[in-house]
Amino acid sequence: MEMVVVAPPAPSRLEDLKRRFFATPLQALLSLISLTIMAFIVWKLLDWAVFSAVFTTTGGPEACQAAAGACWSVIAARWRIILFGLYPFEEQWRSALACVSVVVMTVLSCIPAFWTGRRIALIWGAGTGLYYVLMKGGVLGLPYVGEEAWGGLALTLFIFVTTCLIGFPLAICLALLRRSDLPWISRTTGLIIDGVRSLPLISILFTFAVVLPFALPQWLQGDKLYRVILGSALFFSAYQAEIVRGGMQGVPAGQEEAAMALGMSYWQRIGRIVLPQAMRNALPATINQFVISFKETSLVVIVGFFEILASGNAAYGTGEWRFAYVEVYAFIAFIYFIFVFSLSRYGAYLERRMAVGER
Amino acid sequence: MDSTLPSGPAVRIEGLDKRYGSFHALRKVNLSVERGERIVICGPSGSGKSTLIRCINRLEEHEGGRITVLGTELNDDVGNIDGIRREVGMVFQHFNLFPHMTVLENCMIAPMIVRKRPRAEAETTARRFLAKVRIPEQAMKFPGQLSGGQQQRVAIARALCMQPQIMLFDEPTSALDPEMIAEVLDVMVTLAAEGMTMICVTHEMGFARRVADRVIFMDGGEIVEEAPPEEFFTSSRNERTRQFLSQVLGH
Repeated sequence: MEMVVVAPPAPSRLEDLKRRFFATPLQALLSLISLTIMAFIVWKLLDWAVFSAVFTTTGGPEACQAAAGACWSVIAARWRIILFGLYPFEEQWRSALACVSVVVMTVLSCIPAFWTGRRIALIWGAGTGLYYVLMKGGVLGLPYVGEEAWGGLALTLFIFVTTCLIGFPLAICLALLRRSDLPWISRTTGLIIDGVRSLPLISILFTFAVVLPFALPQWLQGDKLYRVILGSALFFSAYQAEIVRGGMQGVPAGQEEAAMALGMSYWQRIGRIVLPQAMRNALPATINQFVISFKETSLVVIVGFFEILASGNAAYGTGEWRFAYVEVYAFIAFIYFIFVFSLSRYGAYLERRMAVGER
Repeated sequence: MDSTLPSGPAVRIEGLDKRYGSFHALRKVNLSVERGERIVICGPSGSGKSTLIRCINRLEEHEGGRITVLGTELNDDVGNIDGIRREVGMVFQHFNLFPHMTVLENCMIAPMIVRKRPRAEAETTARRFLAKVRIPEQAMKFPGQLSGGQQQRVAIARALCMQPQIMLFDEPTSALDPEMIAEVLDVMVTLAAEGMTMICVTHEMGFARRVADRVIFMDGGEIVEEAPPEEFFTSSRNERTRQFLSQVLGH
């Protein structure tokens, strides 16, 4: 007997919608109510943000305040403070270029084709070097600008990127030390990790910025900015070390044994066999940690740095634009969103890429 | 073979002792394996057979006795250990292929980073051995895309790419579905016919009968009996051996 298989016709989009949302009268009613509420919210938002909003600075703050919608004029008038903080006005193009250099560096180092030791080192060296020269000046005819005047987006990006650049390798070192066969090494490392994790980030930043100078000789102190970055990197690495260690625990012992049996040295086993698999296991948690660290850069305001959020405060804080704080915060939220969302999407891309070859 | 190699047995084990806490895994084991000899080690689980061959390339550290591999004594000298591991290939029960690399990369990585061979040469060698284990067409796949039997053959090819002088097999067919056992054993038989020094922990008695020069029966951390296969299977002297054989050959 011959079997004839007839596939049911694929439901059209409309039928599918009908089946999902309008199956019974009650369901149809609920669907309609939800739809109305959503439409209302979207309309209100659009009306506020676009249709009734003021975009130009011509009328000044008064005309803007009188408008029914958002007052985007505050951004047009104040964007330079938000993005560049207290950086000298005529030199702000340098701050903008410095942002670009950090972003380009980050994007390049996310591309698999650049993942060799030499290329990554070159990119990071060039990116941070360029940032430093542009921001600080004092060479090539660029006027000198001290770290205390750095601010806004340029500072936020710099703190985030350097925290990760220092913190990530440190995290891997800590994770490896914690896995050591020698109990005094693994216990001490465990104590350091747990110790740092038990402290709030603010207290660590405060210690590194304010307390450390009393304990260190003059020549070891460096600028407050770099001490704060070190503190933030230490905090990052304590959390990330545990994430990396968790990833390593997910790699079967047989993997390292097979590498040993092939004669690979410790660093070859770690670098080629264990870490690549551990990082694949640890990827979701790692992206999470990066996202948290990006947003935690706003805490440096506690030790007197004007990163983007604090610069935003300053942008509306001067009398005439005091009413427009919602718009300023919406703008800053949008900037955070761009960076953090890109980071998440990149994480998703990496997960897809690394899933290759998994059963 | 290289004429500069030191003479003497491939592996010499004298008075080997190993404990895990209170468990005495190996008790004063003596074993000598000549170059080109094929040894099959069998015995009930927990008898110390896996521990014994894992001591030969230092995946387990021994506590008493001496192990000499290809004229080099295994001790705490890391140089000695690395030197021996380069010359001793190992195949595991669970394959232990590197899942983040293709089959070809699995076979190329150790020759490239351990033996410092150029990439092109490593690839030629890898493809030759993949052809030898009869899966040249799977080179660009990832281990997770292959069947168990195919994975184990890749694992054999990976070990052979280091061009070792001795091969250790730790229950290479125990994790395989029955229909895949033959394809792996066939590769091992070919290898034996080419004169490779092999030490195999396995319960495949047909394989032992066909290729082994000596069969070794272990129980309770000791070598209970060792004999050429015909003698081993037909006229074993020891009661424990006969009981074990009746269990594995009984069905």
